[in-house]
Amino acid sequence: MTNLAESEHVTVPPRRVPGQPDMWLFVLFEAMLFTGYFSVYLALRTQNEDLFLQSQADLDLRVGVFNTIVLLSSSWAVARCVRAARAGQYRSAMTFAAATVGFGVVFAIFKVGEWIHEIRLGNTFTSSEFFQHYYFLTSLHLIHVLIGFIVLGVLIYQLRSPLRRSQELVETCATYWHTVDFLWVMIFAMLYIVR
Amino acid sequence: MSTATTLPDAPEFPGGSRLQRFAWNVRHHPKRELWFAWYVMVVFYNLYGVLFFLVTRVQPPPSPDWDTPLVVQWFDEHHLGLLTGFGVVFLISGMCAPMNALLAYSMWRMSVSRVFAYSYLIMYSLAALPGMLVMAIAMTVGALRADRDPELIVWMYDFAFLSFSGTMGVFLVGSVVWLVAILLDKNNVFPKWFAYLGLCNALTEVVVAPAWIFQRGAFAWNGAIAWWINMVVFILYTAAFIVLLRRMIEREDFGTGPLPDPAAKAEPVKAAR
Amino acid sequence: MRDKSTKRLLIVWAILTALTLVYVWLDHTTDANGTLHASSVVTVSAIAIALIKVRIIFREFMEVRGAPAWLCRLTDGWVVVVAACLLGSYFIGSAVA
Repeated sequence: MTNLAESEHVTVPPRRVPGQPDMWLFVLFEAMLFTGYFSVYLALRTQNEDLFLQSQADLDLRVGVFNTIVLLSSSWAVARCVRAARAGQYRSAMTFAAATVGFGVVFAIFKVGEWIHEIRLGNTFTSSEFFQHYYFLTSLHLIHVLIGFIVLGVLIYQLRSPLRRSQELVETCATYWHTVDFLWVMIFAMLYIVR
Repeated sequence: MSTATTLPDAPEFPGGSRLQRFAWNVRHHPKRELWFAWYVMVVFYNLYGVLFFLVTRVQPPPSPDWDTPLVVQWFDEHHLGLLTGFGVVFLISGMCAPMNALLAYSMWRMSVSRVFAYSYLIMYSLAALPGMLVMAIAMTVGALRADRDPELIVWMYDFAFLSFSGTMGVFLVGSVVWLVAILLDKNNVFPKWFAYLGLCNALTEVVVAPAWIFQRGAFAWNGAIAWWINMVVFILYTAAFIVLLRRMIEREDFGTGPLPDPAAKAEPVKAAR
Repeated sequence: MRDKSTKRLLIVWAILTALTLVYVWLDHTTDANGTLHASSVVTVSAIAIALIKVRIIFREFMEVRGAPAWLCRLTDGWVVVVAACLLGSYFIGSAVA
């Protein structure tokens, strides 16, 4: 490995924790919490499969897939932002940060649109056990997205002024946003795909 | 409880037996009020756990789905526990004051505006009313007369549990105030991970809100999501802040700048407790 | 070096998107006549694919690949624990029902 590095004059960067280690504690703890919610959902689902299947049929898979791709794109954008900031290209980083917010807004709009559609079909929070979990998980996730906007706001604020830029804080904010993304990946699988 | 490195001008215990050392601490230790508040907090939470979980048995909560005869039966079975347990709760409820003061003190010590500390103090002072006392009153009223009209007993039952679980909003806002203060703080009073843990705790408090709507299932006041998972997070959060407050007191130097890092454990007999 | 990492991120995005589209295929093949049927195979696959995606997000987007060994092990261990919890709830629930 070192011979290769020497011959190509490439320095292997030292291993470092991305962002504050504290944020990683949050990420893993929150993920365990959601796992708890998913476990309750799965266990209850097995007790009442037909009801859950019947309700689940009212969900539109296309919207779910679209939302997943939108959030994956937002994760890509914030990852690009972090790399750009690390290379000192702050204008580029700002553009990517703005793109992340944009994708997040699109997600939120489609999410609310989907809720309105479901309510029009008669599926509310109290109409069936499946929809209890659906609205609970998606609204809890949306709260995370809204907090994510605040976090991205902090990120952008950091990037704007040369006096404030802290790569650690930028990475910490990005870590939070990726959490929002991967939580959605799990929620999507639980609500839309699991049979 | 060494003051040796964090307070260089502090008086030192002259030496003697353990009892003498304790008496000296009570009279002279510069941080005695902080330690008093901390011990009150520890005693309070232990009592709270014993009273709510073992004596009165209102936690884990019984089901909102029960019909009238079952609820009346529950009151019958728990009659003595409810009256004695909540009787003690009424006596000790004042212990919340030093506890809330210590938490507000932690914010006061931070580099952020005092507004955080004051708003937290106000919120939590009021929060004990719906969050603990209303349940205590409703339960004792319900248990007081065995021959009371069953419908009234069920009313008390619903009133108590909804008040206890459903008023999480106040605690939620208080948690958020504390965590924002920690994130903005430059004095390093608490580690940042505790702010994020507070965020997790605040979110689980949001999760209790559906208890107002559901009488059965995972979102009822005794549900797997609205109570059990919520309680696990709350216990972890409480354990964390008890330990962190202890560390804060140990590090306290009564200044206005960053708190010094924890004193080295190699301090010998100067430890006063 | 910067271009390589940029390209890598795009490839990762493409893989994640493709895995998401696998779900659409899964959906079409199991739902005959437009009605949904219970299926352990679909459930297990759904969970497995989701966790693969999550691990990719950890390692590539969240830069765990370049992180100290303890973080790599922690996140991998987390993926295993989550898989155990979810599959456990599902199978134990199914057995009890």
